[in-house]
Amino acid sequence: MQMDFHYYATYCAAFLAGYSHEESLDIAYSSQFVDQCSRTLLAKIKAPSDAATTQLQLELMDARTDRVGLQDITRIWSAFHFLPRDLYAEKKGCGKRYLNKYRMICGPNSDLAVKTVELAKGKPLQSVGIAMHVLADTWAHMYFAGTPSLVINNTNYIFFELFPDGEGFKEKPITFAHKTSVPDDPVNSVYTNSLYQSSENSIMNLGHGRAGHLPDYSYARYKYLPAWGEYEEIVKDNPSDYVKAFAQMIYAMKYIRGAIHSFEKDTYDMETVEPLLGRIKEIIEKRQLIACDDWKAFGEELSGQTVTEYAMDRYFDEYTGSSKADRDETFLGRFTRGAIAHKGMVIDEIFKSGSKLAGYAG
Amino acid sequence: MFALLMLLSAAIVMEAPVDTALAMILLILAASNAADAVKDMIYYFTMARHMVGGKMILFKGVVMLDFALLTISLSNIPKSYILTYLVGVHAFSGAVEILRANESRKTVEGPWKMKFAHGLVNIALAALCLIFIKDLEVAVLIYSASLVYSAVLRIIIALRKTAFIVIE
Repeated sequence: MQMDFHYYATYCAAFLAGYSHEESLDIAYSSQFVDQCSRTLLAKIKAPSDAATTQLQLELMDARTDRVGLQDITRIWSAFHFLPRDLYAEKKGCGKRYLNKYRMICGPNSDLAVKTVELAKGKPLQSVGIAMHVLADTWAHMYFAGTPSLVINNTNYIFFELFPDGEGFKEKPITFAHKTSVPDDPVNSVYTNSLYQSSENSIMNLGHGRAGHLPDYSYARYKYLPAWGEYEEIVKDNPSDYVKAFAQMIYAMKYIRGAIHSFEKDTYDMETVEPLLGRIKEIIEKRQLIACDDWKAFGEELSGQTVTEYAMDRYFDEYTGSSKADRDETFLGRFTRGAIAHKGMVIDEIFKSGSKLAGYAG
Repeated sequence: MFALLMLLSAAIVMEAPVDTALAMILLILAASNAADAVKDMIYYFTMARHMVGGKMILFKGVVMLDFALLTISLSNIPKSYILTYLVGVHAFSGAVEILRANESRKTVEGPWKMKFAHGLVNIALAALCLIFIKDLEVAVLIYSASLVYSAVLRIIIALRKTAFIVIE
């Protein structure tokens, strides 16, 4: 998912869940900041590097792919962007080495998703934002794993975009190129993806790189053969998944605020969404690479307030200008503590499942 | 890694007597093919057999093992045959490089022209080796020059930038 959903749509969901305009902005900022909080940035503001929630392209290019390096990558990507769906999943005839990777496949409504939301309850708004980022990504990044793996994350030439056509869908083959200088072309279904690399642990095989940015586009519906899927095609319906993500975020934040007593899997606040569904679907299904303007306008319609544009450095001065003792209570101090707590919880759960892919939380 | 092995082979060919040099190159080639084959097969049986299209990795492993066995069995034949075999392998890798360059031209950002030229020069040097096959010392020298050229090009291509999808 991109800034359109992690910032603007998250603002809308927070407001609909009952948070004030200011609170919703803080949650939205924290949710989007998960995509920016790299070790490079943390070093710049002198914050703890353990709080990294993403890795920059250059950091990944430099990353080691030995066991420790892979654990570091897996900690970040599986905790914040590809939350595993089932850490105890079984697949007939598979050895432990394969199974450990298979169990890292991301998906919504998992035990870990419930734990993520529960962990944010009673915590500052920054933790709520982090949890909403993770929850939303479980929908967008479904079927890919947050660890480098050819046998899980690879895709092949069988890749079709689906267009509504009467009762069903019309298929159009997707052309993948590897030219980052050329933007994705939704009109002709030409998208950029990562190059095929036959090495299992190549960084090119991390997450949805082989499917390009298709999982990040809310309008996209596509059909493909996932490497792990035993030759069964998967239809990914982003518009439907993004609506569910939005409704689940509202439900989760109502729970965190205390308006609901428990957070259950596969439950969505459709009651709140239903009257707005037409407008939401209009934004989600519009064929555009980024929907920030539309979500921003929608947020402003909902709250009647101006939704300030996302500025990554909004809280940097507050953090760097505080004494070491006071930093924990700044906006970014709360964010880093929330990130470390969430990361620790996910690493611990992966370790408890018998996998050493993410190492040990310590 | 393969490029470094090529440089090592070139150094051996230039320094050692022709007999020893060819035997050493055959050994290095066979050992590296065998290591690749074993690695591919272990990967297939532990992981890739569950992957869509994973059988390609097994086929690659079997072909590499075949190459390794064929290479090691060539030690007791005339030197000119050995050199012809090595030159053939070199020309084949040039042809593969040209095919890859053609594919890259359509979809990949990066120096496809370099890849294409690499393939062409490989084939040309292989042809030159065959022309001078009767003068074994000259042919061996040309072969070693082509190994150095290939190794340097491989290192440059390995260090080039490729598209990487930044996940959000």
